[in-house]
Amino acid sequence: MPPLSLGADGKWRDAPGERGVAAAIRERFPAAADLLHTPDRRRFMRLMAASLALSGLAGCDDDDTHDVIVPPVAQPVGAAPATVLTYASATLLDGFANGIVVRTRDGRPIKIEGNPAHPWSRGGTDVFGQASVLGLYDPFRSQAVQFRTRDSDWTAFRAAMLGPQAQWRASRGAGLALLIGPTTSPSLLAHITALREAWPELRVFSHGAVPRDALHDGTRQAFGRPLETHWNLAGARSIVCLDGDLLDAGAHQVGAARGWSEARRGLAAGGSLLEMHAAFAVPNLTSAKAEHGVSVQPALIEAMARSLLSRATAGGQSDLPELAAAWCNAAWRALDGTRGASVVQAGLHASPGVQEAVQRLNAALGNTGRTVLHTAPLQFQGESLTSLVDAMQRGVVTALLMIGTNPCYDSPAGLGFTAALARVPLKIHASLYDDETAVNADWHLPMTHPLEAWGDARALDGTASLIQPTIAPLYGGRSAGEILAILTEPEPRDALTLLQAHWDFAGAPERWHGALLTGVLEGGTAPLVPVQQTGGMTPATTALEPGMQIVFRPDPTVWDGTVADNAWLQELPKPLSKIVWENAVQIGPALAARLKLAQFDVVSLSAGGRSAVGSVWIAPDQADHVVAVTLGYGKRTEGQISAGLGFDAYTLRAEQTPWLLDGATLHAIGKKHVLACTDDHARMDGDGFVRVQRTGAPPVGDGDGELPTLYPHKESDGRAWGMVIDLDTCIGCNACVTACQSENNIAVVGRDEVLNGREMHWLRVDAYPARAGATGTAPTSTAFMPVPCMHCEQAPCEVGCPVEATLHDHEGLNLMVYNRCIGTRACSGYCPYKVRRFNYADYSAGAAPTIVEQRNPDVTVRARGVMEKCTYCVQRIAQARAISDRDYVPIAEGAVRTACQGACPTDAITFGDLAQPDSAVSAARRDPRRYALLGELNTRPRTTYLAVRAPGVGEG
Amino acid sequence: MRQLFAPGADAILRLALLVVSVGALVFLVVVGAVANSDYVYGVGVAPKQPVPFSHKHHSGELGLDCRYCHTSVTHLANAGMPPTYTCMTCHSQIWTGAPMLAPVRDSLANNQPLQWSRVNHIPEYVYFNHALHVTKGIGCSSCHGAITSMQMTARAKSFQMQFCITCHRNPAANVRTPDQVWNMNWTPPADQATKGPELVAQYHIRNAAQLTDCSICHR
Repeated sequence: MPPLSLGADGKWRDAPGERGVAAAIRERFPAAADLLHTPDRRRFMRLMAASLALSGLAGCDDDDTHDVIVPPVAQPVGAAPATVLTYASATLLDGFANGIVVRTRDGRPIKIEGNPAHPWSRGGTDVFGQASVLGLYDPFRSQAVQFRTRDSDWTAFRAAMLGPQAQWRASRGAGLALLIGPTTSPSLLAHITALREAWPELRVFSHGAVPRDALHDGTRQAFGRPLETHWNLAGARSIVCLDGDLLDAGAHQVGAARGWSEARRGLAAGGSLLEMHAAFAVPNLTSAKAEHGVSVQPALIEAMARSLLSRATAGGQSDLPELAAAWCNAAWRALDGTRGASVVQAGLHASPGVQEAVQRLNAALGNTGRTVLHTAPLQFQGESLTSLVDAMQRGVVTALLMIGTNPCYDSPAGLGFTAALARVPLKIHASLYDDETAVNADWHLPMTHPLEAWGDARALDGTASLIQPTIAPLYGGRSAGEILAILTEPEPRDALTLLQAHWDFAGAPERWHGALLTGVLEGGTAPLVPVQQTGGMTPATTALEPGMQIVFRPDPTVWDGTVADNAWLQELPKPLSKIVWENAVQIGPALAARLKLAQFDVVSLSAGGRSAVGSVWIAPDQADHVVAVTLGYGKRTEGQISAGLGFDAYTLRAEQTPWLLDGATLHAIGKKHVLACTDDHARMDGDGFVRVQRTGAPPVGDGDGELPTLYPHKESDGRAWGMVIDLDTCIGCNACVTACQSENNIAVVGRDEVLNGREMHWLRVDAYPARAGATGTAPTSTAFMPVPCMHCEQAPCEVGCPVEATLHDHEGLNLMVYNRCIGTRACSGYCPYKVRRFNYADYSAGAAPTIVEQRNPDVTVRARGVMEKCTYCVQRIAQARAISDRDYVPIAEGAVRTACQGACPTDAITFGDLAQPDSAVSAARRDPRRYALLGELNTRPRTTYLAVRAPGVGEG
Repeated sequence: MRQLFAPGADAILRLALLVVSVGALVFLVVVGAVANSDYVYGVGVAPKQPVPFSHKHHSGELGLDCRYCHTSVTHLANAGMPPTYTCMTCHSQIWTGAPMLAPVRDSLANNQPLQWSRVNHIPEYVYFNHALHVTKGIGCSSCHGAITSMQMTARAKSFQMQFCITCHRNPAANVRTPDQVWNMNWTPPADQATKGPELVAQYHIRNAAQLTDCSICHR
């Protein structure tokens, strides 16, 4: 018993010393704080007696008397129960397509896979594509037509539109305005064009929270017309990014990352390195993977771009600060040596000046047409949101139809969209969610998700991709084309008719079946546009030394907020900071020191008379005087999971310069708000986790030798599954983490439980910055390391388990037997890699019925009190094994692909049978860069890594 | 003072102790036996079905093959339940007005599926594959009993882990030649001891150690 003392009020209380211990436990081990409230003796006895009396119930099975089998009336051909059917389709981000294959079971889409037949994504996926399957089943999606926030239906809407429709037909669309969200759908674009021709008075506007205007302005200045850029990285030998986002999330990510990884592997095979130079203000995945980075203010990036351009066009050099000049020299050497085979890239958020300089630089170096390609703008371009607000204020808009957009949330606050909207007599809003704009509209119409509707879209390279439904619309939604048809046609056509009419499939069944099989609409690719420079570089206008600036970025996990209600994306750690469930006010260490701000201090960030309040996150490589905020948070629709998370950066945004705002001020408001961050969780003991292979240096891999061991050698009979992860091409994009969550029914735990260290991801991606010096020196690259279960041949966890709930099978898998597990968590304590996850609170229970529909029926949904971890997708192995045994054929190489492997846009993960010497994984294991994580422990992991490549000593 | 305990008290105490301990033992044995009994697992109990379908009549007497209705049993994990169309292939021609078949006709007419009560229930955490067992010489009756003699279909085995693992440890005792897989009255022939291991080799059935890997059934 702790010593007791009599307090001033005469009551007994803990001695002061005891209170100190409790405080310390609360601080350091938040999850253990509950244990401090130890029950008294009687309560303890009561609880123990109750658990003893009820313990037998745990073995009781569910009552299965109501268990029924429901065979169909007529069996659809090819759809036997419990078989997997796949459909080639596309996922959308900002309207751009990524080719995918949707796995469905019993009529339910359950998993997104890559589509190797798609020319742009070539089998890769991104987090948004992987998570879109959860978005489909989201119970918070808009489920009914609403009239002034009361439930209505489509018939009522059609009836209500008959009058206005006749009016528009008579006035040729006068007073009617359309506001279209980001879309590249060729059939929808043609639909709008046809409508405009029929009704010339109709006005069409477009709005997206991630505008491509800077790129279009830059190409207009350089080549005389707005253009879209994409890259053919296959022949690239050097890459220079100026405020670039080549490997970051976005419409370009999958194709660019695939091209980059192939080029990097190709050059490495010849003994050289595809080096990347990055000048950036805010660290991102592109800067993390760059061998030569420099962190500078946005205005300086433009000066550096101009400096490089003047060298390319034989002009003089301009004065630059020392670090920037050194970086420019190195970048120029790389570009000059690889003319015609280099790529200079600027991100969507770069200024028009940088965009123009980059375009001219590529043209001057001879890259344009070779590694840098152009098409006409692919997204629908209507009049701007500013002109719509102006028209609404003047009262010339009598009816507004908003499709797939949420301007009341994601338009810059200074524009006053919501106030202007109130002046429109008839406001119709169609969207996936009953969102901030829906509550301000007269009619709200639910839209279909891309997984449940016919449609089309273009990938960034112009590939026309088919979107085919994999399930009937869950909530009775309609597609954008269908809604336009309802509004304008006496006999509205459906989405399939619209699609087939646009692509002229009526007399071409073979072409139609080809599109259904590959997901690609052959012959529909947007043509490449040859370009010619016009005039000279626009003179600089921006000052080099502005004050503090706010830099806006789309969020790496919830993007612009359109997917903010997706729990997988909310719980996905941001690639660099590993923050989940909210955004942060991100500043560099120098600025933090000057303003005396510490991590998690709540600050008020103001600019242009508006302000936002958020928690400080100090990012090591961020440029001084720059405050970075991400979009997509601070949503206000009550009842949705995104409500109240983080802060709304749109309140600060300006219409004219959407990515940058001058004149920012920042001050602490004297509070702290801890951001949920997974970076410190699952920390391994040891060092040298990431090895670096310098060009020309002796191999850093483990070689063939094995350390001696006291454990008996387990003979593997037959197969030996193994995985090799190439850290050199891993870009930390997290697609594997989301794919694993989707495949393996991994529960979402929420922000509070993440703060307790209880996130359930079976696969985590660790980020290791390779920092050479102190703050202020040039940053170096960051290595990303995906860590799944290592499936150790001599697994320490198996020694720890008292009930043999974790043990090996004969193919080398370290199994987790859920029905044996009693939850001692000893295995997790014994695991040196910290890859085991314990289900503390039955996170999967009580899920909405639609969420249950998404779950993979081949994987057990784990209950409370059970340890779980990566299984190497044992269900996929079991499936392949069953087919092999049934048909007496060996499992073919590549027949088993784990979820993480199939999702990876850079093919960094190799999986297969190590017992086959000619398998890809065996070849990868023979790579001289191969090493085992914590190999000195002699656990003999089946998952091993290939070292990161780096320039040789003295180079670069 | 009167003595507290009569002379026989000691014997009574001993008897009581004996009764209590034997009683406790009997209680445990009985509870254990009941908990594991076929009664608790519903073996031999035919649940009520929408249509009193008789395997004995259709399969045993008329000789319909199992695979006529359970079409995917040879190639998929799931044996498959017949869609209403399968019933109607015959019953649109014979017994077209039989009152007991009204639910089947209604199902077709209204496009509403029949709802059959599940008879065999795979325990939780277990993933079973029909095709593998059938193609490796394990007959239907090994798990489902003499279905062709059942008027109403009932569960034949309790499907406790013991049942599965006994066979996984020694498949040779139950493995049949391919033609005998569909024989619902199969009993091991006299030469099973020699024939069994030959068949195991012929079917490429794994050894007992591999067949009892947890991952064979659980994941």
